[in-house]
Amino acid sequence: MSNFSNEYLRGLVLEDRVHRSIYTDPAIFELEMERIFGRVWLYVGHQSQVPNPGDFFCTTLARQPVVLSRDRDGAIHVLFNRCGHRGARVLNEECGNARLFTCMYHGWSFQPNGELAGVPMRRDFPAETLIDPQFGMVHLPRVENYRGFVFASLNPQVVALRDYLGEAIRGIDELVDRAPEGEIEFWAGCHRYEYRGNWKLQFENMADMYHPAAAHASTVGPDGRQFKRRSGGKGGDAPFFAENGEAIVAQTGVRGFRNGHSSEASLFREEQSGGVWDEYRALLVSKHGEERTREILRNRRHSMTIFPSVDILIAQTSVRVIRPVAVDRTEVQVYPVRLKGAPLQISIDVIRFVNITHAAASFIQSDDLEAFERSRQGLAASGTDWVLVARGLGGEVDEGNGVAFGDRSSEVGQRAQHYAWRDLMSAG
Amino acid sequence: MASGISPAPGASNRPGVQLAELQEFIEHEANLLDEQRFDEWLELFADDGIYWVPARPGQESPLTHVSLFYDDKPTLRIRVERLKHPKIHSQTPRSKTVRLVSNFRLAPQSGDPAEHCVTSKFVLLEDRPGVERRLFGGRYTHRLRAVPDGLRIVSKRVDLTNCDQFFPSLTQPF
Repeated sequence: MSNFSNEYLRGLVLEDRVHRSIYTDPAIFELEMERIFGRVWLYVGHQSQVPNPGDFFCTTLARQPVVLSRDRDGAIHVLFNRCGHRGARVLNEECGNARLFTCMYHGWSFQPNGELAGVPMRRDFPAETLIDPQFGMVHLPRVENYRGFVFASLNPQVVALRDYLGEAIRGIDELVDRAPEGEIEFWAGCHRYEYRGNWKLQFENMADMYHPAAAHASTVGPDGRQFKRRSGGKGGDAPFFAENGEAIVAQTGVRGFRNGHSSEASLFREEQSGGVWDEYRALLVSKHGEERTREILRNRRHSMTIFPSVDILIAQTSVRVIRPVAVDRTEVQVYPVRLKGAPLQISIDVIRFVNITHAAASFIQSDDLEAFERSRQGLAASGTDWVLVARGLGGEVDEGNGVAFGDRSSEVGQRAQHYAWRDLMSAG
Repeated sequence: MASGISPAPGASNRPGVQLAELQEFIEHEANLLDEQRFDEWLELFADDGIYWVPARPGQESPLTHVSLFYDDKPTLRIRVERLKHPKIHSQTPRSKTVRLVSNFRLAPQSGDPAEHCVTSKFVLLEDRPGVERRLFGGRYTHRLRAVPDGLRIVSKRVDLTNCDQFFPSLTQPF
């Protein structure tokens, strides 16, 4: 039970500012696990991480151990990674393949669909007890798969995934449509970074077009251009500063969506082209025609951030997964994506560029991590309780279907996140 | 045989370079990094040189799996320029490091007789005000090429014992 009234919680998020305790108070973090992470759809993993029967991939949702598994009949399941006997975590490697999932403690084993398969010295248990599915590996109450992205919810009453995603579903479409076969694959492992700071700092950052000029100043060369961020003879890098001295990135727009999702407009102006990119484009044209191909390759969005668990990096062709660990500790994984049917070189180049943009050692991410750590330190200050997210307030354009657009690096994306946070947290 | 270096079984002593020179070169490289003399460090690399820190134990390819670092020389140059940039916030204040390198071994090296492959073990301690002390350890594999004025790094591979775990911001090359 919460010690906070709904009214109090509601008051932590105002139109243009949020209370610092939402980043620092362990009791609020505990309540988030229940009222946010326990109620909405959370991204689990991608189906390509479990391609074969018996494959498993372990992760956490709301700090709880879960496993994404592929059954013998090809069906995908999301189970709590917990033995139905005495509660030990069953699978202890992040991923692998097993005919049965066997608990190390007393040797109970489970089918990849969660059913209890084997119990040593079985007849000493009351027979009817072992029939009860709750003593298998229990399924998450709700699981849905959208174009390979598997989501689950701890809330049996959650709305359909499509309704939760709303217009943000386009972010998944825009990435997957870039694959000539209409399917993507995780094939190259992932980057893993962590920081001592609240999970919302990463979420705000993913809707933040205002910070690069200051935070990433060290990535801009003497010629005023940032290092090349993606492959292609053209369309791989971009000038950093506009003629009036403003950072171009800070002149671009942001969208806030219903349910706390957000997206950033693309930093890039041109289609990637030259070499294999021309070959790739021809493949798309042969499949979709010129007009649709231009639409697919349009530099529309940098990323689509799906609250509160995943970021679809469309321009960088990767997927970022965010897991809260504690009020002041967050773990993040970034998976480069392979576009099925595209020339292999394109996917190899994606890996190379994600290494320098999103690894813990990368040119970009290391300064963002510094910003998160400094935020944790600064938010300990009691001089004022308020954190400002007022940029572009009042200038938003209502695009319909729960989407608000704000230009010039508006903080409309962060506001969308905080408003969703407020509505979930204050619905006791 | 130079003191401190024992050849691995099957390794041959290449003509022209004493084993002690290889060890001294690697210790010199570690020292340049400890002293943050990044420009001089960069110049140790051959123009076709590679600096690689895999993200998976035993990783076979830098092309089909992510890496913590996988820098060709132009990328390494960007990295060094950034490390020297006055606005690199993740190095304000700067780290202090110390590297201990030991257990040098010559590894069998096929192909170019001017190249030498040396493995070693290292421990790296990183201190930065306001941040928890960090300790890294692992194995270096250097492929070094003898050129008229000394040695150049053809490739440096760093296998960290914790390469597949979560990392805080990494700024210092290992």
